[in-house]
Amino acid sequence: MKKTLIIFLIAAVFLASAFSAREKIETIEDLNGSNIGVQTAVLYEDLIRDRVPDSTFQYYTMPNDMIYALTSGKVDAYLIEEVSFGVQKANHPELECLEEPAGYINATCIIGNNSRQDRILKEINQFIKDSTESGLMDELYDYWIADFDPETDTCDITGFTGENGTLSVAVEGGYEPFSFVSNGHLAGYDVDFVCRFCRAYGYTPEFFEVPFEAIAPGVETGKYDLGMNIVVSEERNETGTLSDVYYTTPIRLVILGEDTSEIGFFQSLQNSFYKTFIRENRWKLFVQGAGVTVLITLASIVFGTILGFAVFMLCRHENKIANGVTNFFMWLIHGMPTVLLLMILYYIVFGSSRLSGLWVSVVGFTLMFAIAMIEMLRVGYKAVGRGQFEASTALGYSDSQSFFRILLPQAAQHFLPLYRNEVVTLIKETSVVGYIAVLDLTKISDLVRSRTYEAFFPLILTAIIYFVIAALMTKVVKVVEKRINPKRRSQDKILKGIKQWD
Amino acid sequence: MIEIKHLRKEFDDETIPLKDINVTINNGDVISIIGPSGTGKSTLLRCINMLCEPTSGSIVVDGQDITKRGCNLNEVRKKMGMVFQSFNLFGHLTVIENIMNPQITLLGRSRQEAYDKAMYLLDSVGLSSKVFSYPDELSGGQQQRIAIARTLAMDPDIILFDEPTSALDPSMIGEVQSVIKVLAKSGRTMMIVTHEMDFARKISNRIFFMYDGTIYEEGSPKDIFEHPKREKTRRFIQRLSTLSYRIDSTDFDMEPIIEELQKYGEKLLIEAERLTKLTLSMEEICINNIAAESDNPDILVKVEYSEKLDVLTMIIKYNGEVFDIKEAKSSKVFLSLLEEPTTTYEQKDLVEDKEGFSHQIMMNFRWQEEQK
Repeated sequence: MKKTLIIFLIAAVFLASAFSAREKIETIEDLNGSNIGVQTAVLYEDLIRDRVPDSTFQYYTMPNDMIYALTSGKVDAYLIEEVSFGVQKANHPELECLEEPAGYINATCIIGNNSRQDRILKEINQFIKDSTESGLMDELYDYWIADFDPETDTCDITGFTGENGTLSVAVEGGYEPFSFVSNGHLAGYDVDFVCRFCRAYGYTPEFFEVPFEAIAPGVETGKYDLGMNIVVSEERNETGTLSDVYYTTPIRLVILGEDTSEIGFFQSLQNSFYKTFIRENRWKLFVQGAGVTVLITLASIVFGTILGFAVFMLCRHENKIANGVTNFFMWLIHGMPTVLLLMILYYIVFGSSRLSGLWVSVVGFTLMFAIAMIEMLRVGYKAVGRGQFEASTALGYSDSQSFFRILLPQAAQHFLPLYRNEVVTLIKETSVVGYIAVLDLTKISDLVRSRTYEAFFPLILTAIIYFVIAALMTKVVKVVEKRINPKRRSQDKILKGIKQWD
Repeated sequence: MIEIKHLRKEFDDETIPLKDINVTINNGDVISIIGPSGTGKSTLLRCINMLCEPTSGSIVVDGQDITKRGCNLNEVRKKMGMVFQSFNLFGHLTVIENIMNPQITLLGRSRQEAYDKAMYLLDSVGLSSKVFSYPDELSGGQQQRIAIARTLAMDPDIILFDEPTSALDPSMIGEVQSVIKVLAKSGRTMMIVTHEMDFARKISNRIFFMYDGTIYEEGSPKDIFEHPKREKTRRFIQRLSTLSYRIDSTDFDMEPIIEELQKYGEKLLIEAERLTKLTLSMEEICINNIAAESDNPDILVKVEYSEKLDVLTMIIKYNGEVFDIKEAKSSKVFLSLLEEPTTTYEQKDLVEDKEGFSHQIMMNFRWQEEQK
């Protein structure tokens, strides 16, 4: 069933891209009225807005997603830096760009809003100045941008003295050729630049892969010392502290040209498979990502269950204060999108601590699961009915005896099916942790896609891994459910150790 | 053994189910608590084992005031069994565990002891074949018998029954009642809230009639059921329902009365034919005769129905000239009605009537099934 669905999906996307009709586009003005894709938070759309007043801009988080948006007809063109286009073109020969660039971008670094801000700003600017004079910047530009070879280009990420401490650096991570994962390590222009800077000024860099739109906010809360590849615009200048420009590059409008390659369907499927898993041992990344997802999920389930149960016990006797506080937090957390909760925890609540994104995620999902747990316990507890409590009390059971021996076993039967659902929901919800620099399964899939320019395999494989994780965890809860179902006990077990009457 | 003084209970919604209860329960008493719904019967029972916390007053059990803070209620409750209207067997446990587990957990009996006791009790309530059944697999009557067995397993000094048969199908009431009857004869102290009058009468030595949050009348079954001293008790025992009307003009409109009587009849399951006879008589006597003879008529009509006796009664009180119903004018149908054996009547003059009337006509309408 799953396989047929997947094959159907693949076929559908191929067909859709094959049949989309196109008109020839030659100038920027030809694009007026069409849909144009642009990466979120890079602000390239401002460069051509005046020339295509009737166009709609669509925003994409990952640069490579725009390729699929273009081939599937969702956008008619997209904006991207020339360097990235070069790499994309190598993988997708059907892409073409307009002759006239949409404009030029000047990229800068954003400096973290913390005590070291002034010093780092000064050092970075000095480094850019020195490197420009010594020709290092040109050398870097040629190596990573002009003559970029995604297969072989690497950078040295060792040799740090760290005498001036650690530098937290936020990079996109899925943005060739500036920052990307190659052979399991970060590489790229930005990474190389930062490493060279760190070596020169005695820092040890610590890289965080963060979506573009989260770099600036993270740096401005002081969580990171340095954010890379910030395009200069007036608005950005107002809020952030930016370094001098460290590279300039033209921006291209990419459109769909003629596909001259003649690779068969299965051949291309095979290529996709090879690129996604085999090359650079990328399957290891998937394993690692799945591990992170499982870790966050399991830890959150365990801690959330314990926390939820503890809070429920405090609230059980209708204590007004305990219930008031609990309901307030439940209301607060319930009403917040998961991403926001995580970002608030990461940047604000734990902003000044060095708690890693992984553990912040565990805290966030623990809170969310605890809330679900409290809600489930309340529902289950109510479903048991007052009569059971009264009967046990009237017999002489103490409050805790009646709770643990009579009410909870019955409530469990009511809430465990809900619990199963919550576990599945939680697994799926964890896919947003990429926003706080955690390399979970979804984020890994994004990173791999940004390298391979392939959507199908990483996406579908990721979906399948989620299915498998969810199925396994559901299975565990089901087993527990059966185990503790009192009605499944055998008669011998019920009367174990008793000489029975005939 | 239990002494209740000035017991009062107020709920949060300001209803007061118990106003002032003063009563002593002796060892070996079998007490039935009867009375209309909502008069605090169940609340009284639930206060005795503190399932319901009284607002004021004291309940002294074996010399210990259980309403005081610091009283070990769990110990007190172990000596008080309670049987609920809705059985409340523990749904996740088998029948045998329902009876065994409390003994093991609360009385510290060994599993074998608890099992033997449970089996003995299951035998005595006739359900030893249901050892491994779960409560939801049993009929209401069976569940209630198990609940009684569970209570008995704790060897309580007193058993409180809170409407033990109210939630049962009529066909199952008997089996539960007979179990309780056997218990009553065994000399156990019991209190039973019930709506089954015959049952209460047969098993108890004391009856509490509760009305409006108090014990309105108390006595032996004979006192209460045969010679109730007070009005409300009498009405309740005979299950009387009353309507009354005042007719004070010659062009009085009978329609609303007839409509109300119809509803009244539907509610109490009175045959339509009997009601028709009553309304016909009312119209004949009041409108066509008494009112027609007087310039400013003043007639009080009371309609009463006793469920217990199955008698529909109409009392007509009036002033002015005496009217003999046998000489009613132009009413052949009415006169023939008087001849029927199911209709009886009585006419008399009143002396010092509370409502100030001087004459009274009383008619009873019975219902006769096909003559044998």
